[in-house]
Parts: sequence; C-alpha cells; structure tokens
Amino acid sequence: MSNMNNNPYIPFPSTIKEVIKHTDKEYTFRMEFTGDVKPGQFFEVSIPKYGEAPISVSGIGDDLVDLTIRKVGRVTNEVFEKYEGQTLLMRGPYGNGFDTDEYADGEVIVVAGGTGVSPVRGVIDALSLTEDAKDKHVIVGFKSPDDMLFRKDLERWDEALDLILTVDGAPEGYTGNIGLVTEFIDGIPIRDVTKTKAVVVGPPPMMKFTVIGLLKKGLLEENIWVSQERKMCCGLGKCGHCRIGEKYVCLDGPVFKYTESKNMLD
Amino acid sequence: MGYQLSKQNFGEVLGKLGETYRLFAPVLKKGEGRFKDTDVVRYDFVTNPDEIELEKKSDYAFKEFMLPISETLFFFTEDQVKEADIDEKDVLVFLRSCDMHAVKRLDYIYLENGKEQDWFYKRLREKVKFVLIGCADTFEDCFCVDMGSNRTEDGYVFSVDVIDGEFCCDVPDADMAKVFAECKAVETEVTPRFVTENEVHVDIPESIPIGIYGSDVWDEYSARCVNCGRCNIVCPTCTCYTMQDVFYTDNGKVGERRRVAASCMIDGYTNVAGGGQYRRTNGERMRFKVLHKIQDFKSRAGFNMCVGCGRCDMVCPEYISFSACINKVADAVRKEADDE
Amino acid sequence: MSRDINVKKLKKNAFRQSKVRGEAASRVRCPGGEIDVESLQRVVDIAKQYGKGMVNITNRQGFEIPGIDLDDMEEVNKALQLIIENRGINQEKYNGGYPASGTRNVVACPGKSLCPFGCYDTKAFAQEVDKAIFPNDHHVKIAFTGCSNDCAHTRLNDFGIIGQTEPQYDPARCIGCEQCVKYCKKRSVGALKVVNGKIERDTNKCVGCGVCVNYCPTRAWTRSKEEYFRVVLLGRTGKKNPRMAEDFMKWADHDTVIKIICNVYAYLDEYLDKEAVESKEHIGYIVDRTGFEEFLKYIMKDVDPNPKCEIQGRIYWGGKRYDQTNELRQSMFRFSERED
Repeated sequence: MSNMNNNPYIPFPSTIKEVIKHTDKEYTFRMEFTGDVKPGQFFEVSIPKYGEAPISVSGIGDDLVDLTIRKVGRVTNEVFEKYEGQTLLMRGPYGNGFDTDEYADGEVIVVAGGTGVSPVRGVIDALSLTEDAKDKHVIVGFKSPDDMLFRKDLERWDEALDLILTVDGAPEGYTGNIGLVTEFIDGIPIRDVTKTKAVVVGPPPMMKFTVIGLLKKGLLEENIWVSQERKMCCGLGKCGHCRIGEKYVCLDGPVFKYTESKNMLD
Repeated sequence: MGYQLSKQNFGEVLGKLGETYRLFAPVLKKGEGRFKDTDVVRYDFVTNPDEIELEKKSDYAFKEFMLPISETLFFFTEDQVKEADIDEKDVLVFLRSCDMHAVKRLDYIYLENGKEQDWFYKRLREKVKFVLIGCADTFEDCFCVDMGSNRTEDGYVFSVDVIDGEFCCDVPDADMAKVFAECKAVETEVTPRFVTENEVHVDIPESIPIGIYGSDVWDEYSARCVNCGRCNIVCPTCTCYTMQDVFYTDNGKVGERRRVAASCMIDGYTNVAGGGQYRRTNGERMRFKVLHKIQDFKSRAGFNMCVGCGRCDMVCPEYISFSACINKVADAVRKEADDE
Repeated sequence: MSRDINVKKLKKNAFRQSKVRGEAASRVRCPGGEIDVESLQRVVDIAKQYGKGMVNITNRQGFEIPGIDLDDMEEVNKALQLIIENRGINQEKYNGGYPASGTRNVVACPGKSLCPFGCYDTKAFAQEVDKAIFPNDHHVKIAFTGCSNDCAHTRLNDFGIIGQTEPQYDPARCIGCEQCVKYCKKRSVGALKVVNGKIERDTNKCVGCGVCVNYCPTRAWTRSKEEYFRVVLLGRTGKKNPRMAEDFMKWADHDTVIKIICNVYAYLDEYLDKEAVESKEHIGYIVDRTGFEEFLKYIMKDVDPNPKCEIQGRIYWGGKRYDQTNELRQSMFRFSERED
C-alpha cells in the first residue's frame, strides 16, 4: 500500500506479530512498526466493520509496538477476531508521549489504574532498570484480580522496584491488597517530597483524587504528570473532538504537566 | 481597477469565468427551509447571476466547499487505499467580508494547527479564489464591526456591489480585469461597500479568568438550549468533523472512509470507547463553544475565532443569541473582578 | 301577538331554534376557522344590538349569537352581509343571510400560516372547498388539518384531510447526527434508521408529517414541492355509533381531494333517507345501507387520482354500537369491586 501523496490520513498496513491475552476483555497486539515512538503516544487503528479508534502504545520493541486494546462496545470487538499474521491499518504515532528521561532520577511515584497501565508500561519498565529502582514507587490498581493486565510485567516490576498492586474488590480468600489506589499514597516512604516526581494515568475520577492525594502528601504541582483520555478522531489537531480549552489532547498531550492540566476544565 | 457594468454584462463575465472556474455562491433555495414554504439561502454551484443571492445573508456558510458537510476521503480495499477524486476545476467562492475573515480561521485549523496540514482541505483550498460581496447595510444579527471583520482589504479577485441595478466591481486581479474589460465593463473607481455600524454590539473581555467555568452564566443554557447543533453547522468558523467508515463487504476490509461535519453541541461529540462522555449538560457545551470562539482559539492563533456573522442567532430555534451570551460573559467577568 | 314562523326556513337560514320561545341564535360561518377583525367586530355589534351581549364559540370554528328575537332575524341578516362578503361565502340573496346550514362550517387548524408542522395552507383549502360545496342542505362535515397530529380532529368528520409532505433526503448534506431518527421516534412513528452513517426512511411507515425536516440541522431533509393529503372517511360522534374516520387515501393530491368531496352530494341526493328526521343523517349510516362499493362509485366518479395516490377499496370502521348494547365493555370488572 502506497502513500505517494504524503497524506497523513492514509493508514499503513501493519502485521500482527503476536496476540497476548490478558483478560477476557483485554488483549495486547504486538504490531510491526518501524519509526520513532514513545510510551504514552497513540495510534489511530482502523478496525474492520467499526472504523478508527485511538489506541495507546503499551510497549515498544525492535520494529514492534504493543497496542493494548480493551474490548469495549462495538469499537474494538472486531480486532479480537484478528490473529497473528493478519494486518491492521494504522496511522501514527500521535501525541507527545512520556519522556522517560524526565523521571529517571530520584524518587518517583507512578499511579496507574486499569487500562491506564498501558501508556505508562514503558515508563515503569524504564524505571525498573534504573540504579535506584527501589526509590521508584508504583501503585497499580485494577477493578478485580480478573482484570489484571501485564501479569508477567507485574512480577518483574515487583522484583525490581517498589510495586503496590491493588484491586478495588476481590472474592473471599484473595490475599493481595484490596483498596483504591489513593489509599496507598500516604504509606509510600518518600525522603524529599518536593523533589519527588509523579505520573498519574487512569479514569478521570481516579486521576483527580490521586492528584489530590499527591498534593496533600506534599508533592509539587510542577512535578506531577497526567495523561488525558479524549475522543480523538484525527490525531492531527483538526477534528476538534479532543480539545480542552486551548489545548488539543492529540497535539499537546495526552501527557500534560499538572500545572497545565489543572486549568484544562471540561 | 474598478468596473461598472449591467447585469447582462456581468452575466457575460460569469459566463466567461465559467469556462475556467466553477462558481460557488449563495443561492435562495425556494421551499427548502425548515418550515412549509420557507426558503433557505445556502451555497451551491451556479452558472448565471440570477441564481446568486446577493441581497440576503446566507443562512449556511461558504465553508461547505472546502469542508463539505459529508466528504468521502478515500476508498480502501484489502491492499489499497485510494483518495477520492475531486473536480479539478478551480472555484470562485462568493462571500461577504465576515466570511473572508472566517477563511483565515479555517486555514489556521486545517493548515497551521499541529505539525501536519490537512491534505484534503488543502487540496480543495488551493482551488479557491474569492469574490467579495459588498454589504450595503448591516443585517439583523450581525456584529462584524465589533469583531473587526466588517472590512476586507485584499484576498479577493473581484468584488460585487449592486447599486441601482448596476454591478460595481473592484477588480484587483489583473486576469479578472481582462475578462471585465472584454465584457463592456466601464472602468471607474470602485470601493466595495462595507458595514460600519451594526445594531448588535459585543464586549469581549480581554482575558477571561478560569473562574468563568464555574459561573452561573451558563446555567440558563442548560435549560434553554436543545443541543440541536444548528449554530455549529451554519458557523463559518466551526471546523469540527467526525470520521465515518462505510464497509462494502462483510469482512469490513473494503469500503470508504468519510468525514462529516460535527457539532460540539450535539450528543456524542465527546463519547469515548467504553461509554465515557464529557460535558453532558447543554450549559457546559455552550461554555465550551462560546469560550472557544472568544478566547481559547485566540490563545493559540492570536486572533478571535468568531467573526460576528450572526448566523448562529438566525438559526437558533430557541432564540439563544450568541452575541447576548458574549455580553453576559463580559458582565460575569466584570462582576468577578469587582468581587475580588 | 302570536308568531307564525317557518322553523324549517329559519334553520335553513342558519338560525338555530332556541329553547327560549321567541328567540333564535344566529350562526356565523367562518370557513377555515378564520375571521377578519372587521367581521369579528360585526359579530360583537350584532350580539350587542340584537343578542344578549354574549357569543358562543362553536366546536366547528364558527360563532353563534344567541338571544336574537325572531322578529329581528331580517335585520340580523342585513347585519351579517358584511361578514358573509368578507368571508367569501356563496350567497343566494343579498341581505338574505346564509342560504343553507346543512353542510357545516369547514374546519381547519391554522396549518402552514402559523404552525411549524403545517404541511399546507389548511385555511385556504378549507375556504376553497367551502366555495365549491356551499350552500347545500346535506349534512356534511369536513375538516382540514396541517399534519398527522390532526389538531383539527378531522377523524370526527365525514371527510378529514390531513396534510402530508414527502421528505426529500440529500445524503451529501447529512452528518448522521440522528436527530431526525430521534424525533421521528419521539414525535412521530419511528420510520427512520441509520445505515452506514446515513438515514434510511421506511416509506411504508412514514406518515409524511415532516418532523425530520423540522429537526434536521443541515437541510439534508427538505419538504417535497408537491403537497400531499391523507383522506380519512366517515368519522362521527353521536348516540348510535360514534367512531373515528378511517384511512381512505394517502399521498392524494389537491384535485383528487376536491373532486371526491364534491362528488358526495350526488350520492346524498340519491340515497339520503327521505324520512330522515330533519333530513339529517350522518353519511356513514347511509353507506351502511348502500354498501361501501356504491358510495365509492359515486365519490370516485370522474376522479383521476395522481399516480402516487394510494386508495383503499374497502374500509371497516370501529366504534361502539350503542344500538346493540349500552353495557360498559369491561362491565365484569367493576371499579367498586377491584382489588387494592
């Protein structure tokens, strides 16, 4: 498939190299992709019989990107019928993504909820490889044990850094943490709150209360980053759907410093 | 260079131009209004001057050429994507001064906002030249003077003002001037007519504090607005669209992708996969729209989005006035400043 | 002085015999439910001078001025002349008042003159029909209503004429906002659905009310240039068998409607029960005697229906038959005996 006109709307075909099933609803598609890409960026993926949907990058490898897709509504059901070797049409990556270097030094807190883990998966991976990985605190929350994503990564992260894995609720007999991610912020041991950096990704209410918790703990607004989810039709700053105030989530985000995002009201 | 000519000779000019250009102009569509035996003025392709509505303000904007209400972008098959063809002929778009200013807004979003230009917009935009329709007098809802869009000094190939049945045209474009001269147009000094006074005035706050988000100024719109989105559709500066895919085959691999105009007032505008939705109330949507037009766009582009054409007021079934809303916002901003 | 009054003549002259001995009520005919203020003033003047200073507004959109002394009828007729002329009522004798009362005032809702949903000029059509059929002594009730809402209650008339528009759809102007779908469902019959981002209209279900046109923000939906009518037949109130009029035609044109209405009089001339009390019989009871086929033969005489017009060859009416039973339908379930 050619794109001789250099038309940013024309998608390219990408081969599905591997499908990783996390839950009944969430799968990671390991896609062929060559080019610059950062965690937190997203691709517009053409889904047969549905249309385009913005999917964030959950992992980056050699000539590969991971796209973790949640089976929600009619949007993404079709993709789940796709298997290794077949192709999907995509365009991107779009958005600013996370600059992992920014969080590499010193104490860091990452709070991620549900599919919000996808965009920060690369960030957490990078943190887990730092020398002072034990100063990297990661709270990951899911609705229930059945909803857990990236189980292998969770095990790895648990070894390498300070991981707090929690679920909102669980059947009797579950021995892990039960509770909202916000409940674990207080307990994180921090030496210098004013220099600690934080990254928050998840559903809007979770992000709101997590940031409140972090600020209460003493973190500075300028040291907090969040990632916004909005309807993104074009990824190019044209269609308008993702605009919040003067910002376009697809161009200026989806990752924003809290000092910016606090003024982005819906 | 200016020319004065009869309607018949003006028709000849259009006839000659028709060999090179398609003419996209406001047309009075009889009986195509909302209600029985009501008309609507909207844009369409024309061939002679009788078809062009030069008196009334158009209900719908010129943007429908560059931003078609429904536009097929490309066709896809299993292994190929092919952009939809367009008519290769250049286009003369007839519009008023406020709309000339709106072009700058469309260009900003589609050509300057973000790293990438909009390929499909650009393709149509490059075909367009503008013909300025002079405004002898203000229309009921116009507030172009306060928005600074009442005057247009350049950017048009010729202008049209009908004065006592004679067509008076300023023709800055040399090629166009040749066509006028060939059609027995008399050379004379012509300045396009511009409105210098509107009945409607707006008072746009220099800066709008974030506190306005929580202002009760929006509350009445939650009750009054019916989120029909007509204000967005008729607006010459609204640019939002939504993608639609149409599948010709059961496997969903052959079909077309198109985009259709979108409205930030209509349900579904913010819906994300999984059911998330932002700005549920019509008051919130009104705030989103109004602040874009008089503040948020300006923060990015350096100039206000709204051009004061007043079409949104004309079309609103609930008599919601955009200009009145601007002034309510201005009052609220002043009040907030006084309270501090 | 003893009075010697021809009551039959009085009634034919559009006076109603009052229960108050020596008095009558003057019935003012206002086809299409419309009256000019000069005539309205005259109604007031007559009520003041000859009546009791009160006026009844009738169910069929006329006025009834009670309390008129039988001796004043001639004077009242002279006073009515202005109204009769202003309302364009056919008359036989100057200053002679109304020449008939059998064919009732032709009723109309305001239609397109006022109502956003009106599909045609109901008043003008009513007045045109009145011109064509009046004066006539046959008891015929006709009503016109602008759309399928039937605000004029045409279904209680012998001939009910319900306006229809055939929605015209331009997919190139459709943004798939689904407001037409939503409002067709909420305000009408739910004849629309989305297929591939565009709208499909179930032509069998669509009643031609025009709700989609009213709510479309882009003019993708417009009204047909042609006006169409649904004709419903032989509804009635009354003691014996009150019932709603049933559909006879849909998508009929203007000429077809006029012709079938005019044709009914020959049928009545032929089949009206000569023994009918006051020569007055609802047409439906006559049809019960002659059979619908015979009625059809008369009203369709020389009618050349427009191609789009769909016509029923047989109709069954409902309504309760009080001449058979006066039992409450669900009389086994008494209000007083229901369980709490």
